Amino acid sequence: MHDHHKPNTKSEPAPAFTPALRKKIEGYLTRYETKRSAILPALHAIQDELGWIADEHVEILDKDYGLHRVQVREVLTFYTAYRQKKPAKNPIMFCNNIVCCMLGANEVIDKIKGHIKKYEERGMEAPFSVEGVPCLCVCDGAPAMIVNKDRHLKVTKDNVDEILERYAELPR
Amino acid sequence: MGDTLNKVKITTAFEGKPNARALKTYVDNGGYTALKKAFSMQPAQIIDEVKAAGLRGRGGAGFPTGMKWGFVPKDDKGPKYIVCNNDEGEPGTFKDRYIAECNPHMLIEGMIIAGFAIGANKGYIYTRFEFFEEIRWLEIAIKEAYDAGFLGDNILGSGFKFHLDHYTGAGAYICGEETGLLSSLEGKKGQPKLKPPFPAVSGYLHRPTVVNNTETLATVPFIINNGAAAHKAIGTEKSPGTKLFCISGRVKRPGVYELPLGYPFEKLLNEDAGGMLPGYTLKACIPGGSSAPILTPEELKGLTLDYEAITAKGSMLGSGAIMIIDNTMSMVELLKVTVDFYHHESCGQCTPCREGTGWLANIMGGIAAGEGKKDDIERMNEISARMGGRTICALSDAAAMPTMSIVKKFGAEIADYIERGIRA
Ligand SMILES: Cc1cc2nc3c(=O)[nH]c(=O)nc-3n(C[C@H](O)[C@H](O)[C@H](O)COP(=O)(O)O)c2cc1C
Ligand code: SF4
Ligand code: FES
Repeated sequence: MHDHHKPNTKSEPAPAFTPALRKKIEGYLTRYETKRSAILPALHAIQDELGWIADEHVEILDKDYGLHRVQVREVLTFYTAYRQKKPAKNPIMFCNNIVCCMLGANEVIDKIKGHIKKYEERGMEAPFSVEGVPCLCVCDGAPAMIVNKDRHLKVTKDNVDEILERYAELPR
Repeated sequence: MGDTLNKVKITTAFEGKPNARALKTYVDNGGYTALKKAFSMQPAQIIDEVKAAGLRGRGGAGFPTGMKWGFVPKDDKGPKYIVCNNDEGEPGTFKDRYIAECNPHMLIEGMIIAGFAIGANKGYIYTRFEFFEEIRWLEIAIKEAYDAGFLGDNILGSGFKFHLDHYTGAGAYICGEETGLLSSLEGKKGQPKLKPPFPAVSGYLHRPTVVNNTETLATVPFIINNGAAAHKAIGTEKSPGTKLFCISGRVKRPGVYELPLGYPFEKLLNEDAGGMLPGYTLKACIPGGSSAPILTPEELKGLTLDYEAITAKGSMLGSGAIMIIDNTMSMVELLKVTVDFYHHESCGQCTPCREGTGWLANIMGGIAAGEGKKDDIERMNEISARMGGRTICALSDAAAMPTMSIVKKFGAEIADYIERGIRA
């Protein structure tokens, strides 16, 4: 079950809703047969614009848009796509299902974790985070990962550094 | 009996064409003519044609599509819905995304025809969120179809109204299960519901809803254009038509292959996919996605790729995933990854599924860490035997079936690992 949903433990200030975000959410409220269907797209929009979904954002959805906080929280905690705390600059979803695993995904994940540890040892905030995720359904390109919204295929321990360097400088 | 070797292209007809996804490419190559033809037919005639074509659902269960459409109450004048299950999540499967890449308009045309046949004026395509690009392509195609008058209030002057929207999932394999998908579309947790009632009678917002897989719907324009007989001429008697097979693992050319049902497995592996990479041997194959029981090289000999032949071997054709497991893969690792996946994805409503997948994951975790116990294999058998057929949806069975098959067929390897505490 989805045990990695932890409440916002870091006391990061919640970024405020932008006018563009508000406009998007308002569009969703009338787009579907029921208002409730706007919950998933509204949460996606918040995460896209602000990076994660804070408790304060759930309150805004309730107070300003009439999306009940219990119903919103239910969705927020059920689905793995939603982040409840501020993510690293470049979150990585690495597939560790059967085919990717067979083709060496875990070695690559370990290598990325090694980089993250190095940043931390030097007192720097790691520009990456990595989590193993279920099959990304691009198994003909295994091992596969998604960095932000970019999909990368045939990622091996030999080419992963070159890919990551497109996002941030790696610790030497 | 149809042809099981002739490679007719239906859902991949636009593969490799320049600007394959564009509306113009689709229309220039005969796209949306099936829709015009459908408007000249009676809705019941369309359903009969799809029934006669023998089209079976490509999402995994292989349920006859025309029959499903026929379950929608005809005298009900209230809203009805067509929902495309594009939530592709079955491990080993990567075909529905290929339709979004090659010809999203074929899917859209299929959905409009399905809507006309069952009297639905609204449709949704539900896609997993990780398909960022595919979602963009689908949204562009929907807009193009609106602009060209293929979607809207009075399509091509037929008086038929059909609106189509896209909805994005949020990371939950269980939303691939049709009732879980509909819960999600209603803005709720993606928890499946007990059937009956089936969605065709009470689905989205308790209204009649047909949920079909992307590949199923994309096949409909071919059937309407060419007739049921043309579809029946491909594949086998009981499994007509083509299927998208997704072959992955250490083969020379992994990828999506559209092949007639009944195509020989060995031909796909050794000719189409080019065989195993040098230095690797075939240890096993999981057909149908990770929910399907594993097959040994012995069982794969002479196997044909149709619903009946794979069922006869004790597995299933499922989604058309063909995961080639090679000699480097440890069966302990394979089973651990599999049960961890189902444990993670269980929605938690049913005890046998929630607890059963958890127990299996614990046992496999122990074995992999070198702390396996002698009776672990027996315990896994007992647990899986109690997980099937007693839950709201089939995820519980989907976890139990592969477990039992791996334990049965590769039990010696697992026992050896338990004994040594590590892979031999
Ligand atoms: C756990 C589970 C996951 C499923 N995932 C998918 C999926 O990703 N895509 C899909 O089309 N069908 C999936 N199905 C099957 C659907 O419930 C449903 O049978 C299918 O969408 C019907 O369409 P079809 O008749 O065209 O195949 C899944 C079923 C179960 C039990
Ligand atoms: S079988 Fe599992 S996934 Fe399906 S409804 Fe029950 S608990 Fe949820
Ligand atoms: S197993 Fe990794 S993409 Fe399917």
